[in-house]
Amino acid sequence: MKENVASTVVFILLLFLNTNLLNGQSPPGKPEIFKCRSPEKETFTCWWKPGADGGLPTNYTLTYHKEGETFTHECPDYKTSGPNSCYFNKKHTSIWTIYIITVNATNQMGSSSSDPRYVDVTYIVEPDPPVNLTLELKQPEDRKPYLWIKWFPPTLVDVRSGWLTLQYEIRLKPEKAAEWETHFAGQQTQFKILSLYPGQKYLVQVHCKPDHGFWSEWSPESSIPIPNDFSMTDATVWIFVAVLSAVICLIMVWAVALKGYSMVTCILPPVPGPKIKGFDTHLLEKGKSEELLSALGCQDFPPTSDCEDLLVEFLEVDDSGDQQLVPAHSKEHPGQSVKPTHSDPDSDSGRGSCDSPSLLSEKCDEPRANPSKFHTPEGLEKAEKPETNVTQPQGPQSTSVEGKIPSFHASGSQSSTWPLLQPPSLHYSRSSYHSVAEVRKLGLGTAGAASTLLDKTDTRALKPSQTIETGGEGKAAEHRESESFRSKTDQDAARLLPQDKTPLTSAKPLEYVEIHKVSKDGALALLPKQNENSSRAEKTSTPETSKEYSKVSRVMDSDILVLVQDRRAQNLAPFEEPAKEAPPSLPQNPAAVDLASFPVAPSNCRLQLGGLDYLHPTGFMHPFQ
Amino acid sequence: MDNKGSSQKGSLLLLLLLVSNLLLCKSVASLPICPSGAVNCQVSLRDLFDRAVILSHYIHNLSSEMFNEFDKRYAQGRGFITKAINSCHTSSLSTPEDKEQAQQVHHEVLLSMILGVLRSWNDPLYHLVTEVRGMQEAPDAILSRAIEIEEQNKRLLEGMEKIVGQVHPGVKENEVYSVWSGLPSLQMADEDTRLFAFYNLLHCLRRDSHKIDSYLKLLKCRIVYDSNC
Repeated sequence: MKENVASTVVFILLLFLNTNLLNGQSPPGKPEIFKCRSPEKETFTCWWKPGADGGLPTNYTLTYHKEGETFTHECPDYKTSGPNSCYFNKKHTSIWTIYIITVNATNQMGSSSSDPRYVDVTYIVEPDPPVNLTLELKQPEDRKPYLWIKWFPPTLVDVRSGWLTLQYEIRLKPEKAAEWETHFAGQQTQFKILSLYPGQKYLVQVHCKPDHGFWSEWSPESSIPIPNDFSMTDATVWIFVAVLSAVICLIMVWAVALKGYSMVTCILPPVPGPKIKGFDTHLLEKGKSEELLSALGCQDFPPTSDCEDLLVEFLEVDDSGDQQLVPAHSKEHPGQSVKPTHSDPDSDSGRGSCDSPSLLSEKCDEPRANPSKFHTPEGLEKAEKPETNVTQPQGPQSTSVEGKIPSFHASGSQSSTWPLLQPPSLHYSRSSYHSVAEVRKLGLGTAGAASTLLDKTDTRALKPSQTIETGGEGKAAEHRESESFRSKTDQDAARLLPQDKTPLTSAKPLEYVEIHKVSKDGALALLPKQNENSSRAEKTSTPETSKEYSKVSRVMDSDILVLVQDRRAQNLAPFEEPAKEAPPSLPQNPAAVDLASFPVAPSNCRLQLGGLDYLHPTGFMHPFQ
Repeated sequence: MDNKGSSQKGSLLLLLLLVSNLLLCKSVASLPICPSGAVNCQVSLRDLFDRAVILSHYIHNLSSEMFNEFDKRYAQGRGFITKAINSCHTSSLSTPEDKEQAQQVHHEVLLSMILGVLRSWNDPLYHLVTEVRGMQEAPDAILSRAIEIEEQNKRLLEGMEKIVGQVHPGVKENEVYSVWSGLPSLQMADEDTRLFAFYNLLHCLRRDSHKIDSYLKLLKCRIVYDSNC
């Protein structure tokens, strides 16, 4: 029973609901505040969009409360801004304050509220468009015609007090055109348009934006017709352009004319001819070979002061006054002991920068080249194949000479000795040349081969060439030393050569020759004395030094030197000579070398010879380090 | 909006140019305003105001951009705005809330109000820079602006003090400003709390920079142009 009643009531209620629904009545839908705007930062308006009204008259109310307050207010003005809006006048507007605004929709059936909207007037400023847009065509006499656009800020905005700062933008287009041409005008309320097409009607609009807000809507269009005679083109511009282009063309033509050749060479560079870097052909023509060589870069040739020091050390003053020692440093008097026939035009006669002291000075008896001695070296030389190389004068190429020299000197037997004069430098070559010539003059002619050799040397010497290398070293650095001892060896050779006991003073020995080894015959194998500074002590030319007699044990009589092997020399073999061979011919025991074979005549000369350095094993080293 | 952005960029460039001029003037370089060799270089009030307005405009632009960037990146859907009510530390400084009130305030008072607000922001800006740097994947857009705002705020403060020296010379004003105590919130471990603290700080910065800009423009037109801008 009760159940029946309950179910009946429910049924009736449902009927009522259905009836209502069928009538289309329902509580209002949720409204939505979609826009709030302030035109001048002093008032603002909010607009809402109503939801479904539920078929019944719906009442909308807007309520709000401000940040920092607890009261809830209702919209002061629903009318001013149109339907579904709320206008907040100046009194009700606070800047820098958040408004929390809600719209309520109420109808018979119910009500609904919108979501609260948080509004800060500061950031919703959107002014009205500017007003009073005027267009005027100005055509002053001396200037170009233009369109002058003027406007005024929107009425509500207070620009004068600085409450709002407006910036403007205009746009215009010919009536029929599709795209607008927009120009930013800044804070000014006027604008000039210069480029217009005559004979068309132009439409112009302007809008504005506050310093921190939104752009306003575009103002209504203003139009103005442009008369047909509105001349926009400026002839002067075209004249200027024409003149400028003509000038540019002229400049280009002139540039091409002047630089045409260089441009062509730039594009098609000429094939360079052969040229030796640093080689001045003119010098060659003039015959200034030393300049030429200096240009080529052999500066240190002949050796410089250190060599002189070396020579100074080397130099032993003889006790007799008759022997005149040529100071090593007397470059200026190279020709002291040189015969006047010395045709060396250089102040540095043949000695090069390093004047080797002439042990056999003028005061000494003229050394006579011992023909036998000449023979020996020559024989020795002949014994070795490389000798042949020596005898072949090479061409002007220094390199070839150099190539030959090593074999010449070092040849396995190191027999060479002789001239070590290679024409290392002009000076040296000359010196060697001269010394050799001197020696020859002293009677070395018996040594045919030697003389030939000498000749060859001479010829070689004549040829400007780079340093010659002995012992196979081809290093430029050693040229100096080689040259130095070339000069020395020359001297030594000169000394060794004399047929008589007089030193080859005339020969003015300029190179020091070191005794390299002694052959069976007692011939001395001479080597160019190496540079004192460099290697005094350590260079040994031959590894198998056992055969070297390089140490003077004593002097016998007045002209006999007793040579012994120098054990020390055995261990020193810094140089690798290309054709080194153990000279088997050297006797193993001290051999007394006939001093007569030495160009040592006077005791003083001998002294010089007996000088530690001369025959020091280390001295008899490879000329090169 | 493109127009807004482009005009902002244009004004930004102009601001930078003039700000650099302001800096040069400080270094007693030769400037059109200060004739070289002048011992007491007195920049005219008009130029002082022009520069101050440019600075304040620039600072507000930066603050606005910074806030928008932060809002877009971190605050979406978190409803921070509902909590950021009445939470600015400078609300204790009573400042005019609309144009009429501002126009009724004497310009000396208004100047001191501006100075108060500016001084109140020295400390928060410094910490803002430090904390933004420490944020995970510190966004460069926000960090660079924070650094710039801190820098320019100092300059604006100096410029304002100069203006006060000219408009209101000889009066020793009380340095009134609000103390900011929001640093612990910025350093909270809880991400939500920390992000809200940043949001609130940026929100208040945007507002206060706008306030200063508005006051200065009012003062400029009132003092320099005699209410006829």
